Amino acid sequence: MKIRAIALNTFKETIRDRILYLLFFFAAIALGISRLLAVLTVGDRVKIIKDVGLASISIFGVLMAILIGTGLVYKEIDKKTINTLLAKPIQRWQFLLGKFFGLVLTLFIMTLAMGLIFLVIVLLHTGKLDSRMLLAILFIFLELVLITAVAILFSCFSTPILSSIFTLSFYLIGHLSWGLETLIQKTRPGTGRMALRGLSAILPDLENFNFKTEIVQGLAIDPRFYLFSALYGLVYTLFILALAVLIFKKRDFI
Amino acid sequence: MTKTATLRRKGSATLLIVVLIFLSCGGLVSLKTAVDRIPRKKIPGASIIYIPSGKYLKYATFGYSSLVADLIYLWAIQYYTTYTIVDRFQNLEHIFSIIAELDPRYTDPYEIGALIAVNEARDLGLALKILDMGLAKNPDQWIFPFEAGHHAQRAGDYETARKYYEKTMRIPGAPDIAKRLYAAAGFRTMDLEESWKIWLEVYNTAQDERTKKIASKHLYQVKSTSDMNLLKGAVQQFRDRFQRLPSGLEDLVRVGILASLPRDLDGKDYVYNPKTGETKAPSVWWKR
Repeated sequence: MKIRAIALNTFKETIRDRILYLLFFFAAIALGISRLLAVLTVGDRVKIIKDVGLASISIFGVLMAILIGTGLVYKEIDKKTINTLLAKPIQRWQFLLGKFFGLVLTLFIMTLAMGLIFLVIVLLHTGKLDSRMLLAILFIFLELVLITAVAILFSCFSTPILSSIFTLSFYLIGHLSWGLETLIQKTRPGTGRMALRGLSAILPDLENFNFKTEIVQGLAIDPRFYLFSALYGLVYTLFILALAVLIFKKRDFI
Repeated sequence: MTKTATLRRKGSATLLIVVLIFLSCGGLVSLKTAVDRIPRKKIPGASIIYIPSGKYLKYATFGYSSLVADLIYLWAIQYYTTYTIVDRFQNLEHIFSIIAELDPRYTDPYEIGALIAVNEARDLGLALKILDMGLAKNPDQWIFPFEAGHHAQRAGDYETARKYYEKTMRIPGAPDIAKRLYAAAGFRTMDLEESWKIWLEVYNTAQDERTKKIASKHLYQVKSTSDMNLLKGAVQQFRDRFQRLPSGLEDLVRVGILASLPRDLDGKDYVYNPKTGETKAPSVWWKR
């Protein structure tokens, strides 16, 4: 109940944030531009629309998660409102989870809105809808949930600017960590390779939520991949949230 | 008593969180392993079409154009050595021209791009195009026309090879071998006059005995080939006139087809076979 109340309050707080609407505005423009870019191409126009559209949802979603998420907890600490809140019978982990779910709810609505615009554009252009595109959007949302958790983790002990940089780095590492596999294959067996394997296992692999290419190109995906990727996202989020709770629990506000 | 209980409760909550962290960490590592085991169909390099030309990409690199060039080059090496991508050579020129625009003085990509084009894509024209691009951006680098000449020579296109070796010779700092390769390619294209001229120049300017010896051997080859061409023509004229082969090379002088008989560089007579009408040099040029 307490988490729900905080989540609803956070949701109300975040939907009043101007930056959210600014980003949504740009996302809508980017989605519209995908239609324009398709006119400029030679060949498969639908591919361009889908590629640019899904990328816009992902990029602007991540920007929303980072720019709002990194300030959520910090603002409470900076304005000392956290003292009033924690004086009430609320546990720190409840406060943190409430903040997290509140932002996740905001992001869900934003992803839904961007997804709708995207699907309407695709529908208008092709006259049909591919149900797998919904899956692509769902996995983008799962990625946003994880990014939100990371933003909140950094927000627990750092300033919004630093937290934004850290979270953005996490996002970039997550999308580039697959390159480690190439490095592993080219490294001689031994300590170096083992260290790289360890690093590859622990570093986030956000490509597990990226089905954009497969869906746009119409490639088959093993259903187990969806299942394990979703579980991976949820467990990673749990791991990050547990870390955030541990840090926030030890944090002194005075 | 109550304070102790609260502290204990706080301690166990922390322990619970730590346990949760370890459990979730273990869980995510096993899930990552499970996900990695599932084969995923990919279209490697499908995003290549989105890479704009280097000219425009340069503006987006915020001053890190050489870093971006390095990254694209590293990626290109991995991409072009992925043999499962059948059509990987389609964008070879595009990729290497991007690197060239981002970091024009970076010489390795031109050389490697040309190597990939000629050895993997089997496209000599593309290799030459990439090396031409390198030379256009680095007119002081003799390596580009030199490599181009080498690739053309390996492909048996001696005319093109000769053209590139000539360009190499003109660039300050080019190795002496470029002149010799130019002369050798000239011989292959049967421009014996030019080949003789260059080999003679090499002979006269050689700084060491080895080069002098090489030039001397080639001079012998050029002269004997030129002489044998002359003798072959004369034998043919004799045959047309008398409906038979000459019994000796002296017959060619006797009937007035030649003013005198040519001799090889060592002053020896050419060997004539009256049965076949063929002439041969008295020595093997490379064994001299």
